[in-house]
Amino acid sequence: MSTKVISLVSIGAHPSSGRTRRAEQDARAVELGLQLAGEHLQVVHAGDHREEALRAYLGMGLDHLDVLEQPAGADVLGVLGDYLRDAGAQLVLTGSQAETGEGSGMLPFLLAEQLGWPLIVGLAEVESIDNGTAQVLQALPRGQRRRLKVRLPLLATVDNAAPTPRQSAFGPARRGVLAAQDVAVVDDELLADAQLQPARPRPKRLKVIKAKSGADRMKAATAKASGGGGKVMKDVTAQEGADAIVKLLVEEGVLR
Amino acid sequence: MSDLIRRDPRVEWIARNRLHPLHAAMQTQQTSWMGPNGLMRKNTHAIAAGFMGPNGIKRIDRSGAQQGTAAGGRRSAAAEVQLPLHQVVDPAFYIAVVPDMVGGRLGAHDKDLLGLAHSLAGKDGAVLAIVFGEHKESAFDTAGVDRLLVIEGDAYKGYAPEQLVQGLRAVDNQFAPRHWLLPDSRAGGGELGRRLAAAMGERPATRVWQVKDEECIGRAGAGQQDLHRPLARLILASSECADPVSDTRHEALPVELSAPVARSLSRIEDLGSVAVDPAAIAMAEAEFIVSGGNGIKDWDLYHKATAALGATEGASRVAVDDGHMPRNRQVGATGTWVTARVYMAVGISGAIQHLQGIGACDKVIAVNMDPGCDMIKRADLSIIGDSTAILQALIEAVENFRSGGQRDAA
Amino acid sequence: MLNTLLPILLFTALALAVLGALRRVRMWRRGRPSKVNLIGGLLAMPRRYLVDLHHVVERDKYMSNTHVATAGGFVLSAALAILVHGFGLQNKILGYALLVATVIMFSGAIFVFKRRLNPPSRLSKGPWMRLPKSLLVFAASFFIATLPVAGILPANTGGWVMVAVLGLGVLWGVSELFFGMTWGGPMKHAFAGALHLAWHRRSERFGGGRSTGLKPLDLEDPKAPLGVEKPADFTWNQLLGFDACVQCGKCEAMCPAFAAGQPLNPKKLIQDMVVGLAGGTDAKFAGSPYPGKPIGEHGGHPHQPIVNGLVDAETLWSCTTCRACVEECPMMIEHVDAIVDMRRHLTLEKGATPNKGAEVLDNLIATDNPGGFNPGGRMNWAADLNLKLLSEVKSTEVLFWVGDGAFDMRNQRTLRAFVKVLKASGVDFAVLGLEERDSGDVARRLGDEATFQLLAKRNIQTLGKYAFKRIVTCDPHSFHVLKNEYGALGGEYLVQHHSTYIAELIAQNKLNLGQHKGGSVTYHDPCYLGRYNGEYEAPRDVLKALGIEVREMERSGFRSRCCGGGGGAPITDIPGKQRIPDMRMDDIRSTEAEVVAVGCPQCTAMLEGVVEPRPLIKDLAELVADVLLEEPAPAAAKAPAAKREPAEVH
Repeated sequence: MSTKVISLVSIGAHPSSGRTRRAEQDARAVELGLQLAGEHLQVVHAGDHREEALRAYLGMGLDHLDVLEQPAGADVLGVLGDYLRDAGAQLVLTGSQAETGEGSGMLPFLLAEQLGWPLIVGLAEVESIDNGTAQVLQALPRGQRRRLKVRLPLLATVDNAAPTPRQSAFGPARRGVLAAQDVAVVDDELLADAQLQPARPRPKRLKVIKAKSGADRMKAATAKASGGGGKVMKDVTAQEGADAIVKLLVEEGVLR
Repeated sequence: MSDLIRRDPRVEWIARNRLHPLHAAMQTQQTSWMGPNGLMRKNTHAIAAGFMGPNGIKRIDRSGAQQGTAAGGRRSAAAEVQLPLHQVVDPAFYIAVVPDMVGGRLGAHDKDLLGLAHSLAGKDGAVLAIVFGEHKESAFDTAGVDRLLVIEGDAYKGYAPEQLVQGLRAVDNQFAPRHWLLPDSRAGGGELGRRLAAAMGERPATRVWQVKDEECIGRAGAGQQDLHRPLARLILASSECADPVSDTRHEALPVELSAPVARSLSRIEDLGSVAVDPAAIAMAEAEFIVSGGNGIKDWDLYHKATAALGATEGASRVAVDDGHMPRNRQVGATGTWVTARVYMAVGISGAIQHLQGIGACDKVIAVNMDPGCDMIKRADLSIIGDSTAILQALIEAVENFRSGGQRDAA
Repeated sequence: MLNTLLPILLFTALALAVLGALRRVRMWRRGRPSKVNLIGGLLAMPRRYLVDLHHVVERDKYMSNTHVATAGGFVLSAALAILVHGFGLQNKILGYALLVATVIMFSGAIFVFKRRLNPPSRLSKGPWMRLPKSLLVFAASFFIATLPVAGILPANTGGWVMVAVLGLGVLWGVSELFFGMTWGGPMKHAFAGALHLAWHRRSERFGGGRSTGLKPLDLEDPKAPLGVEKPADFTWNQLLGFDACVQCGKCEAMCPAFAAGQPLNPKKLIQDMVVGLAGGTDAKFAGSPYPGKPIGEHGGHPHQPIVNGLVDAETLWSCTTCRACVEECPMMIEHVDAIVDMRRHLTLEKGATPNKGAEVLDNLIATDNPGGFNPGGRMNWAADLNLKLLSEVKSTEVLFWVGDGAFDMRNQRTLRAFVKVLKASGVDFAVLGLEERDSGDVARRLGDEATFQLLAKRNIQTLGKYAFKRIVTCDPHSFHVLKNEYGALGGEYLVQHHSTYIAELIAQNKLNLGQHKGGSVTYHDPCYLGRYNGEYEAPRDVLKALGIEVREMERSGFRSRCCGGGGGAPITDIPGKQRIPDMRMDDIRSTEAEVVAVGCPQCTAMLEGVVEPRPLIKDLAELVADVLLEEPAPAAAKAPAAKREPAEVH
């Protein structure tokens, strides 16, 4: 395929240890790019080229990865936009949101706005590309898919519905080149008035009973007392059992 | 259940007939009794509470003769209590909310968002809900919508995010809302909100889970950090960001756009949805999993049951080892760690590795022959019995529920 | 007549044999260099053959005696025949000696022949069915041809017919035994085997030693190859080792993956390597195929990739690295090394670790444990135990290496039991706590040498900060890696498995033990404790001290069957006809024991994965902790920890 495909990658963080790694969704963007463009895939990162976690992308079989040198806390929008326009990209793939920093997921939207390109969210599969348009499948919640036809050049984000990234191998990761490019630096003013803090666990919402009548209140109170978890139904008919299950499924809203 | 009030002559008769063996059971509220000093006592509250007559008019019957109808339990939907009306006659400002309207109705996430909007609007501001296309919602008033703007037109049908943004920009021009609130969901709000932010040049606060004291807190990065920042104009909020409105009724006055919305030249063409096999949904993402284990004898029936329930299939290690299920369906420490809201284990006794793998599940249902097995200790609901019979009954129960549910909706 | 014919035949065969030998040597030299003491090895060879190798062969008395007679007779007759018939030294004494030698060889060959009448399935057929006949013909021909030399028969007995018959016999005999030895016939094993013993890649194995640790890859040199892609990527002495295979199939008979119907047969694998080293297809292989993979569809060349030409990847990933094949091999071939070498290429270069392999490796890199658990939760299992941390005490008598079982609820019971035992013994011990990382065992067996070395180096660095006398662990895999594989990276420690240490504590009377009351017990030897480290006695001593008479399984000790949990096999999860732990459980059931004692978290997990009803699975530490008699004084302190134990189950 002659379409020029570029994947944008960032530094990820493991959800339990917080250690840097290849970002899960960005790796999927690379995987999708590799499936589409093979060795012609171009992969770009804006940040520090000495970051070892970038090698995990190289380990997927890339021989080089362009790094637009940026200090931490810089706004990478401008340099990425310039890079993409200059590179003549037809299809740009990114993850949905970064695993480090703000992770607002705005970058692809802003890039698309800046470049004036259409944007697809949740790209799952590219079915065909011809005549300047791409036919793609978009991932919807609960595993559903929607078919779209989009004009190129196109920016698309991928989420967990995109193909699982291939394993990163040590050999290619070690051989690959992190090609640094010096570009302009624009500071991001966000952290001037905002601050990152370790995440606080969100409290589980309590079931607040705002009963409209005494009877409702009573019902709510008694229901709580008896439904204290671990209800075992023994010596019941299959029908009674099934009804109890259906009742719980409906309560939980998973049966529709 | 129907809200129609129906009389039950038999119950009324029993309530009147003090000699009837069931008479006492019908007297739920004792209105008069003998006090400790031999004095007759009357519960005037109970009497004054009265009951709803057949024509919907409140009746007070001091004789006690009519108590039976109230006690019959037939009137489950007690009189709808009228909540106080929250009126904003001349809004000082607007808080714009764009609910997801999944299935044409306000979802839980939308209602949370409206709750947040209501708290931001205070007394003077008005919550403006913007809905695209047709909807089936009838309870905008109790959900906290002061003004309702329905933008209709063929251009908004299907997947047309760019056109929606045009519509919202028109709203922005006309109403200049103080805040824009969208659900940060995969159902559309997350995408639309970001598109709007990019188009308006606003920096949104994303994944916001708390708004307090002119500060909003949102999750950042991979969820290990929170971003605290001053209240942004555009807020993409997570579900449970605030409590939904529950104490007030709102006007939900319809408003209209004064100028027609510019048509955007569509660069994205929607070719419609594609059928997806429910069983192919990734296990870790599934919210409802029915897992089969060693106790399942009829695997065809199991597959039928999961299809009927619309559940994602899972399996215990043994079921996978025995070749009944593919390896990628294995749940547990050595298989996939699942996060389903409801996890139903059929014929799985619950090895430690399996229980570890379902640790994050909210509700666990166990179907098993052995009442002493570990899965039942973990489960919120356990049915002791033969899996084949229960699965069979379950398929029927679901079919009943579905047909019943549809009748209700119609 | 014979006097002219025999020398011609003998020397032609010998000359051809030398040519063949040179050709074979050239094939081996396609392999990568390997540091070997060439002369010293050759000098040590006879002893290695007669002592070390004999110990292995001796396990099968029948075959041992047969081989001694046949091979001894052959070597003697060949040498004498060259003297007598080749150089014409028609000395009567030499003649008699040759007669005796051929008789010995003949009688040995008869037993070989008998064995081949109804051969077990593990033996290769094909040319190997011909070998006993060739041996018989060789021995008989030279016997008859030597009778005149010894003066028993007059010269020229039988006339031309006799000459023709003997000529043919000798021709057959020397073709098979001299010429065939170096040109790929069954007798190749003698030639290659002798050199293989001389230049074995693990010379430590000879003279009663043990060498089981995998050899490290050089990761510093960016040009050094990462594992083995093509046959020529093996070291030359590995290639030589493959050539030494006698296709006796003892490995096949012991291989748990083969028995489970997974597509692995160690014998076929080695023969495939021989095919690869010489070039060709496996069509001529006359033994059992890889289960489910027909013969004749694979072929290779020294410079072609092995995987998906010669061998399928799933064959390599079926191995549990239990070392049963290596233990059984009478030629001391190193199957596991070869498999891991090829896995290294797949993982490090191709990124092709199957199934959950990639995820596990990613987890090891990101969280230092294969499950991807938050590393901060590593000590949660011991939250109420008040264990001393080395980072606080700096030095200790015993460093208790916890292992990744710390994240596994089942294994936490074992760990808590062992802590109870340690506390009861009153020894000074401490743990690394959050500083501990995965030992790197799984990463290494999955071929990810880079991650192994990363983990190992960091662990070595951590260990280097503290003073301790010894490391004790409940996990034979960590035990093996710490003891045998960290050395090459600069970490030398005294490491003990908890069974060994408990046995020591018992011997020193540091534990006040009661008697076991929980029914009959059998013991399952973990591969990484037994075959890898030769510890068979300590666990049994411990059980004995508890008053347990172990009901031994048929396959126990060095013949113990793997539980299926080693080598990352549960992660790569190659399907077979049945599961290895189910087979092992059948072994256990046949002893009718009610409890099976184990000493490895992997074995525990695999055996407990067998569907009930089955015997109870208990770690040695649990069995010991169960019968600990609490002494009056420290009992108060220990009681709460012991009591809370059941709560840990869920």
